[in-house]
Amino acid sequence: MTAIGRLLDDFARQRRPLRSLGASGQLGYGIPTPALEAGLTRSPDMIGVDMGSIDIGPNYLGGGKLAPTRSGARRDLRKVLNAARRLDIPLIVGSAGSAGAKPHLDATLEIIREIAAEDGLRFRMGVVASDMPRDVLKAGIAAGKVRPMDTMPPLTEAEVDASSHLVAQLGLEAFRRALEADVDVVVLGRACDTGIFASIPAMLGFPPGIAMHMAKIVECASLCCMPGGRDTILGVLDDDGFELESMALSRAATPASVAAHSLYEQADPFEIREPDGWADLRDVTYRALDARRTRVEGAVFRPAERRTLKLEGAAFVGHRALLLAGAADPRFIAGHREIFAQVTNVVRDLVCEDQPEDYRLGFRLYGVDGVRNWAEAAASLPREAFVMGECIAPTAERAEEVIRTTKQYLLHHGYEGRLSTAGNLAFPFTPPELSAGAAYRFNVFHLIEMDDPAALFPVEVEVFR
Amino acid sequence: MTSSPPLRLQEIARVIRSKNAGPCLLTFDVMLPDATAFEAVSARLAALREKVARAYGRSENEVAVIAYRPALAVKITLPRDVVSGDIGDRDVYGAQQHAPLLEIEL
Repeated sequence: MTAIGRLLDDFARQRRPLRSLGASGQLGYGIPTPALEAGLTRSPDMIGVDMGSIDIGPNYLGGGKLAPTRSGARRDLRKVLNAARRLDIPLIVGSAGSAGAKPHLDATLEIIREIAAEDGLRFRMGVVASDMPRDVLKAGIAAGKVRPMDTMPPLTEAEVDASSHLVAQLGLEAFRRALEADVDVVVLGRACDTGIFASIPAMLGFPPGIAMHMAKIVECASLCCMPGGRDTILGVLDDDGFELESMALSRAATPASVAAHSLYEQADPFEIREPDGWADLRDVTYRALDARRTRVEGAVFRPAERRTLKLEGAAFVGHRALLLAGAADPRFIAGHREIFAQVTNVVRDLVCEDQPEDYRLGFRLYGVDGVRNWAEAAASLPREAFVMGECIAPTAERAEEVIRTTKQYLLHHGYEGRLSTAGNLAFPFTPPELSAGAAYRFNVFHLIEMDDPAALFPVEVEVFR
Repeated sequence: MTSSPPLRLQEIARVIRSKNAGPCLLTFDVMLPDATAFEAVSARLAALREKVARAYGRSENEVAVIAYRPALAVKITLPRDVVSGDIGDRDVYGAQQHAPLLEIEL
């Protein structure tokens, strides 16, 4: 019998609270063993881990790369896979490989296969890929079923073609279909983080709003605690609410810390939006059970009029090369805007003699305007500053040509009032230029109306004997 | 009626932070230490909205302000100047865009 089968049987015999372990909100960056092991002694019914986020920027989705190292992801997957098999409880993994597109899912599955072989693990695994077919998306655009999120422009067919990878954030229903394939382990490509922890409650008939609220909190492990951190958390769900307890004694889930978690990376702390509807948190109450545990009640599920899926896509914009250098000359620092503009022109005249201006060159002076494009000039200038030159060009070779030329002419540029005629820059090492690989931008962040995602995103089952 | 003294956000808040809310939006949390401070700021949300709009070069209708009593916090959300990670972005996570908020007085 599979782990999910055993759980469903157990609940069919006697209804009781459901005990979920949130082992990691960012798998691959380390799962502290003491808290995970403490959680495993608390009779959990399932283990969930999230691997992904859109907050890490477009590069991982565009380039098909994991955000953590493969060895980091492998170490963490080994921990949770062995833990789940040891207790014979379901393991649910969402947003495989950081961005959840095919290369990310493939890399994650490859790691799981390696672990299963090396550790002699036997289980059934349900997998749902989340790559959005381009023809379906284009048909959706033509039918007026696609709309932008936030400040994105309307989606065009050209942008669909430009995306290196296109994923849909699969919701609870996809996790549920995978579980219903009678498995021990579920791995999804890009997915809503709440689906990891709200899908089993949905199968067991727990109130969806409360389950969604708990799911949104435990998917971040002990981030909702004081002090917040990445230790495993236990969420115990019943029909009226849920209770939170960090598996690290140093972390306390207090009413204030749990309530504050609703603010984190959300535009509206009263809402959790998912494909099938949203959880309304306006009447939620937070009550301390003791110094380290909080009980939460009151979230209400509001079904969506139309089911939508959120789409994410990233398009290649060029190859990036950087110049890294320091400066300590007050005249250089004071005149940096003019100096950068002049050197940009000098470089253009040199590298565009027989080629078009096919690149973009920009500068940041850290200490002055590296972090923000300030509206007003600073009251005083720093004693030292860090110069970063950035070129994005169609090829890596072109980007390097531009940035190396820039280094030479910025180093020796004879700006107005210069005293330091031997060189304008301090290089911390040579070469001070580096090739930073392909650059991408988010070109799809849209919603598509979709009544039946099951047809597009089927479950595949893999058996490890 | 006497007017109350100005509130400088960095002097009354216990947390002032920024982060992305998706790749297009920047969201700020101003967490207050107690109900008194929360009420004081909540009573001046219109002024807060106007000053945030000015500090970040946005029109007021682009700035959303929500008082969130469960955490004694005020949330402010506005569009990013550049979508996260696009060419020209300076803060992919948006975690260091709070500095202008520190100086705001209500």
